[in-house]
Amino acid sequence: MSGDGPAGLPPASRSALEPWPDTVRWQPISRDLIWVELIRLGIGLAVALVVLGVAWALAGHWLLGAAVGGALLLGVWRSITIVRAVRAWGYAERDDDLLVRHGLLVRRLSIVPYSRMQFVDVSAGPLERAFDLATVQLHTAAAASDARVPGLRPAEASRLRDRLTALGEDRAEGL
Amino acid sequence: MSERSDSGAPPPHDDRPDPTPGPPAPPGPPAPGQPPAPGQPANGHPWPPAPGDGPPAAPSGYGPPPGYGPPPGYGPPPEYGPPSEYGPPPGYAPPPGHGPPGSAAAPGYGPPPGPDAAPGPWPAPLPPYPGPWGPAAGPPAAGEEPRQRLHPLSPALHGAKSLVVVIAGLSWSTLSRVGFGWFAVLVTVFVLGATVLSVVSWWNTGYHLVGRELRVYEGLLWRRTRAIPLERLQAVEVVRPLLAQLTGLAELRLEVVGGGKTEAPLAYLSVAEATALRQRLLAVAGRSAPAPVPAAEPGAPVTPLPEERRLHAVRNQDLLISQLLTPQAFLLPLGLVFVGAQFLSEGSWSFVAVASTLTAMAGVVLQPIRRVLDDWSFRLDRDDGTLRVHNGLLETRVQTVPLHRVQTVRATWPLLWRMKGWLRLRLEVAGYSTGEPDDRNRPDRLLPVGDAGTGAMIVAEVLPGVHLDALPATPPPSRARWLRPLSRKVVGAGLDEQVFVARSGLLTRQLTLVPYARIQSVRVTRGPVQRLLRLATVHADTAGGAGAAAVDRDLADAWELAAELTERSRAARRTDSDR
Repeated sequence: MSGDGPAGLPPASRSALEPWPDTVRWQPISRDLIWVELIRLGIGLAVALVVLGVAWALAGHWLLGAAVGGALLLGVWRSITIVRAVRAWGYAERDDDLLVRHGLLVRRLSIVPYSRMQFVDVSAGPLERAFDLATVQLHTAAAASDARVPGLRPAEASRLRDRLTALGEDRAEGL
Repeated sequence: MSERSDSGAPPPHDDRPDPTPGPPAPPGPPAPGQPPAPGQPANGHPWPPAPGDGPPAAPSGYGPPPGYGPPPGYGPPPEYGPPSEYGPPPGYAPPPGHGPPGSAAAPGYGPPPGPDAAPGPWPAPLPPYPGPWGPAAGPPAAGEEPRQRLHPLSPALHGAKSLVVVIAGLSWSTLSRVGFGWFAVLVTVFVLGATVLSVVSWWNTGYHLVGRELRVYEGLLWRRTRAIPLERLQAVEVVRPLLAQLTGLAELRLEVVGGGKTEAPLAYLSVAEATALRQRLLAVAGRSAPAPVPAAEPGAPVTPLPEERRLHAVRNQDLLISQLLTPQAFLLPLGLVFVGAQFLSEGSWSFVAVASTLTAMAGVVLQPIRRVLDDWSFRLDRDDGTLRVHNGLLETRVQTVPLHRVQTVRATWPLLWRMKGWLRLRLEVAGYSTGEPDDRNRPDRLLPVGDAGTGAMIVAEVLPGVHLDALPATPPPSRARWLRPLSRKVVGAGLDEQVFVARSGLLTRQLTLVPYARIQSVRVTRGPVQRLLRLATVHADTAGGAGAAAVDRDLADAWELAAELTERSRAARRTDSDR
């Protein structure tokens, strides 16, 4: 788990484990996504803690107390991984395809040709909007292909969307 | 394809979407409501169409033969025009610009010349398919093909089908509780209700071809019109359940990408109609994109089929043996003994208990029997650019897949079949949802059972230039044994000229072939252990099916493989779209 992917660092210090270092310029996503994810985690954690705390207060069983502690530990661990995961997320536009990489424990790299694009989603939840972020997702006919880029500035998101659709039309092929 | 669609339209009518602006009311077009003529080939024609079933000009024996012309002395021919109910309604005035009424002798509108003018085999110039079943569901817009109904027997069939559902829903225990009489009453009430509902839905269901779209209308309260662009058509299936076989009907199912399930099943049409519609749909959907849509009326002469070539027919004997060589078949006697022992020990032989047990067993253990019934008399034909799969005993299916719609071909060698050297071939078409629990609704069979030679022949036919027995596949590096101690040697992947090859499975060996042109996206994943071992898995995703994966490749290898797959799929797409 540790250390072979200094992901998210500036392109100069890319590890040799990255694919095609010469041709791919990885773009990081906005660090503000860390806050969005942390708040999301915090809300979930707060709900869980309240439920567990009330149950603990009522029932008084030590297992529930242990559960509260476990939840707190889990939250701390998650917040560390969130920071690293957001840094690990990156995308790159090549001439013919979009590259998206993400994941910490399981590293994933998707290569999606523009011509395979069926449609593009741009979405932004309330939290994301508060931080001025948006998510772009490229859909192909294959259910398995995942090309989702969260944490983009709206301007960048719409630029990416427009570029994707334009390129998709250029290279339209469908199935 | 294109020549088929060209010849599909009766030539003289190509430029005239409107019905014959002939002299007012010749004795001709029979009124709606007139019963279909005796001698209409509703049920009498052979099914499925065997090649060579008739004169080459009237393939499969469906539809009016080309010699279908007006009897001598009959006026301007309505018979090539739209069938009666689509004809000029009473009070119909030909639109201006279509010639004054009475210009019936317009060139090209006379009785078909030559041999065509011979008297038809039918007593009266009846409209061909479909028979006049009630008024069309809506006034057809000018130049548009009118909306058509499903076969009037469909509600009855749906009602009969609901009988099974109702009985299953009420279950055996209800029968024992309320007694037979009340049970019968309940069943009758439910079935009648279902039938009434299906009559209503039948009345509101219609379909027609508009340009390059098939439109399907349904629903009473929630009206739904579904437009299916035929360029996106993946496969067409004609299904005939037992009841439909008895009544000469068929269900037409279209597969389009994006549907969670089969889109727009047209249940039911008469067989001739279904076949003709299928052919038209495929012609429109054909690759030669801007081919003129055959403006053929529903009953126009079926376009001549290109010669169908029989690729393979599975011997039923082999099918039986192959299904006996499955774990379920081996377990069946055990199950029977278990059930028998249970009953003997309990000593209770009530009807309900026996019936419930048998029903439960039938669902699980009798899968081999179902497979036998499904794959009975399996035949594979190739017809121009399409594959045609016939199978089934109680429920026959004819599936038509254009070859360029094949996304994946999967060869499977089950453990017990290896002694025979048999394999099974499946093909994936986009549109069949992967999550379909019942694989009967995923008609992906290419070969239910066959030997290596047959398999290689069929694979070479479906994916030209691919030799099943000479495919490159290298196993992962030896350090992958930490992840797959047993199966390291059997998994593997390789790049053939046309296809990406992935091998897997220790007991049930599998070989997945993905044509480069069908790859939708490429993914590389590295789990924690894989990263320790510097391994990675490369996935090639396809529309429909699970795609193929090269598991546990060396990391550098994996990057190279991913780059190569992307490159090759791009090149293949290019040549594909140039074609």
